[in-house]
Amino acid sequence: MPTELVLISTLFTGLMLGVIFSLVAAGVTIIYGSIWMPNAANGQFFLLAALALWSAAVSWGLHPVVAALLVIGASVPASLLLEQMLIRRFYDVPNRNVSYFVLSLGITQILAGLFSVTYGVWSDQFQIPPLMAGITFLGPFPVSNSRLAALVTGVALLAALFALLRYHKYGRAIRAVFQNRDAASLRGVNVRAIYRLSFVLGNLVVAAGGVLYAFAYSFDLSVSWSMSITAFAIMIIGGPGSVVGAVAVGMVFGFTQAIVSAFASPTVATFSYLGAMLLILLMKPSGLFAR
Amino acid sequence: MTGRVPLFEAEGIVMRFGGVVALRKVSVTQFEGETLGMIGPNGSGKTTFVNVVTGHLAPQEGRVRVAGAEVTGFRPHRMAAAGITRTYQAVRVFRELTVADNIATATVDAPNRMDADEIAATLDWLQLGHRLAVPAGSLTLFEQRRLEILMRLVQRARLIMLDEPVGGLSATEVRAMLQVLGDLRRRTGLFVIEHAMKVIRELADSVVVMLAGEKLMQGTPAEILADKRVVDQYLGRAHA
Amino acid sequence: MTDALRKHGRGLLVFAVAAYALPLLLAGNRYFAFIGGIALLHVVWTAGMSLLYGYAGLMPLMFAGIAGISAYAAVGLMAAGFAFWTALPVAALFAALVGVGLGLPALRLKGFYFTLCSLVIQTVITLAFVYFVNLTNGDTGISQIAPPAWFGGPLQGVGFDLVLATLAVGAMVALVLIVEAPFGRRLVAVREDDELAEMLGIDVVRQKLAAFFVGSLFAAVGGAFYAPYVGFVSPRSFDVLLSLNIWLMVAFGGRGTIWGAVVGTVLLAPLPFLLQDYYKVKDVIYGLLIIGVIVLLPGGILGGLGSRAAAGTGTQSPGLRRKEAA
Repeated sequence: MPTELVLISTLFTGLMLGVIFSLVAAGVTIIYGSIWMPNAANGQFFLLAALALWSAAVSWGLHPVVAALLVIGASVPASLLLEQMLIRRFYDVPNRNVSYFVLSLGITQILAGLFSVTYGVWSDQFQIPPLMAGITFLGPFPVSNSRLAALVTGVALLAALFALLRYHKYGRAIRAVFQNRDAASLRGVNVRAIYRLSFVLGNLVVAAGGVLYAFAYSFDLSVSWSMSITAFAIMIIGGPGSVVGAVAVGMVFGFTQAIVSAFASPTVATFSYLGAMLLILLMKPSGLFAR
Repeated sequence: MTGRVPLFEAEGIVMRFGGVVALRKVSVTQFEGETLGMIGPNGSGKTTFVNVVTGHLAPQEGRVRVAGAEVTGFRPHRMAAAGITRTYQAVRVFRELTVADNIATATVDAPNRMDADEIAATLDWLQLGHRLAVPAGSLTLFEQRRLEILMRLVQRARLIMLDEPVGGLSATEVRAMLQVLGDLRRRTGLFVIEHAMKVIRELADSVVVMLAGEKLMQGTPAEILADKRVVDQYLGRAHA
Repeated sequence: MTDALRKHGRGLLVFAVAAYALPLLLAGNRYFAFIGGIALLHVVWTAGMSLLYGYAGLMPLMFAGIAGISAYAAVGLMAAGFAFWTALPVAALFAALVGVGLGLPALRLKGFYFTLCSLVIQTVITLAFVYFVNLTNGDTGISQIAPPAWFGGPLQGVGFDLVLATLAVGAMVALVLIVEAPFGRRLVAVREDDELAEMLGIDVVRQKLAAFFVGSLFAAVGGAFYAPYVGFVSPRSFDVLLSLNIWLMVAFGGRGTIWGAVVGTVLLAPLPFLLQDYYKVKDVIYGLLIIGVIVLLPGGILGGLGSRAAAGTGTQSPGLRRKEAA
């Protein structure tokens, strides 16, 4: 039945996009919640991970799984370097979120320029070789095993992130910093170390989102800006610093995108995110899941 | 002592933040020519009360009247136009601007501002005349406190609500500040929040004692110092 | 008013001489003359951004969007048969009013939230340029925009450059008059500490609104002239990068100084054209400069505010709510 097909396909796409949105928005909100940095370059980091995966898997011919682990692993030293060079300079600046925002827009512009003079001349659509062969039928709806694996991995990563934040001592320290920097530091939490850790963790999750997206869909350079805007919208609506909010709203956005794309142009979906974000900004800037 | 003309009347002020009640039905009237003091432990609602009277917060219940006119819920700039102004617990001037620019900024939207001669005389009185070209952020704390007062005086404020005016000052500076405030009360209405009882005793004609968002009592400094509840609830602990 | 002109008279004179000399000196090479014209056009934009960012402390990332609305409106009116000189004021006023209408709710927000809100609005405007194809011709853009009429002939070449010089000089005179007026003092107070400003009797929302309208008008007038001068408009002509780059020119030159914006514009506006085939490298250079300004040069190269901790901050004061309230 075609309606059933449309239904399952929409559900699957919604879930897939929802998981990726949730991961990226969780990464963005972890960084904002701790160091107060609204990272507008998150979409560029996302794209950087996807492009690096493409290079490793296609140009160098590495096995996709190896390439994925390599890319996600490489985000750690890259984040540490960036933290060392730029981010930590502002840890004590009042109202640093505006400085950080502008800084990240600068990073966005640099990466966008670099991508267009490098990857931009190669191709306009990038596709990663599948993780595994074969197709699974969800009812009447065929899904490539590769995409299914990306979904399962994404859900597992989200679960791991929650477990880390809830049960591990570093996760609890991060949450303590989210809630109250001064109190956390009084209780002996090394706030600067937690800042660094959050920056690394947040970017790692964003990179993982980019890698999964690249496995699930072919992509072009324009995905970065729409991802940035989407992740910001999710963070603002979910409440800056709220990982639960990021995941809940991320899932809603994923399904919204899937449903709207099935019936109208994706521009309509973007319009609706932006509208929702504006409404929240004006009505309740602390977001729906404010702590 | 006074003609008993009210400067401002706050009546039944209720201020809640979420579930927390910061002010419960607080009524305070200050008369022309009178200096009012307000004391109370931290968290008793003193600053919140000032925030309500100066328009920084709109109360959920109650009325504020200035010289008989209803001003409840007015934004601070309209309160300033009505002559009600304040200083902050942490000193607050335009740190990047010079003293002269700070003063000019204070007069730019003041309907009843002083003329140049009066400003010069006031500058002399507060001993800031030689600092005009200095960025306010490089002044000493005591100078910044005086600049704060100057910026209200050039507007011809009818009431200045001072939130801990001697906070952070040295013992010598406190004495000098007390002298300034003593002169100041002859020029304008004063409302003083202070922990230092010495300041209250010297300046206030009448003192409001706050406790947990409520007005515990009001009386002359001598009266409140003689009150057992005040001694138990507040002074007992503060002076322990 | 005359005081302001006396104070900045020499600067204005030097700028006017340079602005008029530029097209004449470059008249031999049409391409360089065009770059000069573009720089003069950017002076109009940076003058507006200087008012908004340098004096009022707002960082409106929707600036380019407002210029774009004006450009499309002017082109639309010209296509409907109106003369450019009729279309110009109508389009500019319309765009500035739309800008205020869109910005009005955002002006209640502070610091980062205002900037983010303006970014969202900019993105909506760009999407609208792409989406409403019958008005804007979508991604393809509108090309071969006719030059304005001027004493019977088309306005082009050196003539158009000189008109742009006049426009740039006018923009700078207007900026000087505005910031030296009491209005300028109010804006600086709002930028430095809006709560304190409000307490001292300044109606902060009204001042921000007025600044936003005037700044938008600069954006819109520049946009309306951009269309016939370049002869081509597309959604990419007025995207967020333009807003950011105009901001950069002000911040790089020196926030809160009259001539810093001009210096920043002269140094940065010609860059993409001089790089020609490598113009994409411009994004990298601009991006590096943004980071450099934020990290190293918070006051800009003419920065009178040198000691400031970080440039991007609107120096918004911490919230009033004290521990006592909690």
